[in-house]
Amino acid sequence: MNLVRISAILIKETREIVRDRLFFSLAFIVPTVLMLLFGYGLSFDVEHIPFVLVDRDNSALSRDYSHRFIDSRYFELHRYSQTEDGLETELIRNEIRAAIIIPEHFERDLLAGRPAHVQTLIDGTFPFRARTTLGYVTAINAAATMEVIATYISEQQGISRADAAKSLQPIQFNVRYLYNQSLKSIWSLAPNLLMLILMISPPFLTALGVVREVERGSIYNIYSSTVTRGEFLVGKLLPYVGISFLNGIILWLLAARWFGAPFKGSIVFFLFAMTLYVICTAGIGLVVSVFAHTQIAAMTATTILTVVPAVLYSGVLIPIASLTHGGQILAHLIPAMYFTDIVLGCFLKGVGISALRIDVIVLAGYATVLFTAGYLLFTKRPSS
Amino acid sequence: MNPTMIDRKTIDETAMLRPLILRCRSLQAMIVKELLQLFRDYVLLFFVVYAFTADVYWAGSGVTLSLNQAALSIHDEDRSTASRQLIDGFHPPYFKNIGEVGDLRDGTQLLDAGQATLFFNIPPEFQKSLAAPRQTEVQMQVDATNSVLGLLASTYATQIVTSYGLNESLTRNGISPNRIQTLPGIVDDRRVWFNPNQTDSWFMSITELLNIVTVLAILLPAAAMVREKEKGTIEQLIVSPLSPLEIMFPKVIAMTAVIVAGTAVCLFAVIRPLFHVPFRGSLLLFFFVTTIYSWTSAGIGLFVASISRNLAQASMLVILMLAPILFLSGVWTPPEILPAWLRLGMYVSPMHYYIDLSLGILLKGADWQILWKQIVALSSLGIVVFAAGLWSFRRNFQ
Repeated sequence: MNLVRISAILIKETREIVRDRLFFSLAFIVPTVLMLLFGYGLSFDVEHIPFVLVDRDNSALSRDYSHRFIDSRYFELHRYSQTEDGLETELIRNEIRAAIIIPEHFERDLLAGRPAHVQTLIDGTFPFRARTTLGYVTAINAAATMEVIATYISEQQGISRADAAKSLQPIQFNVRYLYNQSLKSIWSLAPNLLMLILMISPPFLTALGVVREVERGSIYNIYSSTVTRGEFLVGKLLPYVGISFLNGIILWLLAARWFGAPFKGSIVFFLFAMTLYVICTAGIGLVVSVFAHTQIAAMTATTILTVVPAVLYSGVLIPIASLTHGGQILAHLIPAMYFTDIVLGCFLKGVGISALRIDVIVLAGYATVLFTAGYLLFTKRPSS
Repeated sequence: MNPTMIDRKTIDETAMLRPLILRCRSLQAMIVKELLQLFRDYVLLFFVVYAFTADVYWAGSGVTLSLNQAALSIHDEDRSTASRQLIDGFHPPYFKNIGEVGDLRDGTQLLDAGQATLFFNIPPEFQKSLAAPRQTEVQMQVDATNSVLGLLASTYATQIVTSYGLNESLTRNGISPNRIQTLPGIVDDRRVWFNPNQTDSWFMSITELLNIVTVLAILLPAAAMVREKEKGTIEQLIVSPLSPLEIMFPKVIAMTAVIVAGTAVCLFAVIRPLFHVPFRGSLLLFFFVTTIYSWTSAGIGLFVASISRNLAQASMLVILMLAPILFLSGVWTPPEILPAWLRLGMYVSPMHYYIDLSLGILLKGADWQILWKQIVALSSLGIVVFAAGLWSFRRNFQ
């Protein structure tokens, strides 16, 4: 390793990046825009579900019951109707996602002390949304049932309705949400986005940087020079790691300051872990660039190799424990999962290196393996 | 009749047809050139095939956005029949009991380390208070670093505890819990349409396919165009007797063909055999919609290609374009919870219509009579976007 030669490559690469103004500014704009866009727009809250209420009974009790849905912030009335005509088309066109159908004799059954049947239709295309909607319907129906039974018991046993209602709920259930007391989705989303964006953008930059030279042919200057492959790779990758590190800091500022996610851990430790992670993901780009001979291939490969695993198998959407067995193995194979632990640990939980040391060690190991592979596979004597 | 006259007539006809034949030939030659170029880039070809098969498979299998085996640790200070009955309510598939801990500190530690998602604390004299009857308090701590699952876990837990409490109190009031069916109350007859068991793999695999189509439909034509600029082969094309349109159309046609073929492979080799998705609607209509959509997206790709000088720039611009498109598709965030200005953006996002159409055709079995509005919207958007792409392309390539 000759420092002069490394710095020569480094300066050449930096100039090349900085002089391509559009590319240089996009390298910073893209991560920021992604963070702002997803931070504001991505929400898994299921609210304002458009629904149709079919009230075939049209009685005082059925209207009372319908208002439990109409007044709920989880549901938004699309149409109030007395018949089921047109329901199917509306469901298929995605104009509504649920329908509540109150049959005739609803009031008569309840007043006679019999259970009343209500039909719920739910669009199951998006299973997560359907499950959450079912949860809301269950909760609303349980509350309604509780009141009806309380009235019934108070009439039967001659106690007041309030007492009857109280006796039906002997257990007071207190739920405390740890690490994110008010369940603000942005608090968990913003740190996760930081992980996600740093998984996508560094490999892109590095893969393109190396393959560009191959495709344009300027790599022959390197092949015929005294620069060794190690020096070339170090000098070549450092500017991209540097850009990604700066991006990491920008993203951290956006997450912690702009979106206000609490940062409870040590900033020094976090920056150290982030550097490791950025080196890891840049290493993925390096390995891709060894195989790809055209930039378009490198682009496609990095997109597919990084985006899907980082979204699905990093523990962001689904906790690792809830994945299937194959999914869990895949999750342990990619660096995203380990950095997710670190990001959430530093941001929301406020735990330090002692709880996260295994994740750090794995990331370091990962970086070593990727760079060794990149070093061994890169050759100054191309076969073709 | 004079034979020379007939000759002249045929010559006139062929003379009239000749430019057309020439055009068709050049179109054919250019399409073949594009396809050859794609098929000889083995790494690219590998990843295109990978995207339509393995990637969709990985997205569809192993991922479920439901509460699945949430790790539950318990600190039971009562150790009575009642407390055990309550704990028995928490069982798979939603919850997984990972055992009891000696004191509160151990429970907090499990939560900190991420080994437990929920920590359940039953107070001493729980059974006595129930029998008294006196209101008693039960505590649960939920790891809310994932706010969605935290909320889901607490919803399910509340249901379990409330129904346990209701049963207990009914028994105490002399009503057997089995009789709850005959008590006045709301009986919920629920039906989930289009995906009765809420199988995640149906949704995940189809939307992943639609994502792949979107990414490739923008990326491939843009890259094919910029590559010629970067390598300098565009100079050869410019001096050839081809108009800018004749250079560009074959690229779009070739890439659209590749994408539609990939979609077919994905549907028949992955989505149907492996995930057993019932295709309820007309597949012909779906392929037709996919073709229109690919053309629309190619228009975006052309726009990117015309303003970038090299592939590095193009790839950054593609990501910048893709992010809002994927995000405004309505897949993850439904329109109703977006702020009004973003909802407006959704109505001009072609992918939003494509998603509605594809899920409508594949899962809901809709035909063109139900979907014609969306098809018209997608087509007119396609015409506008493609025309804009074409305009900026011509301006930059002449």
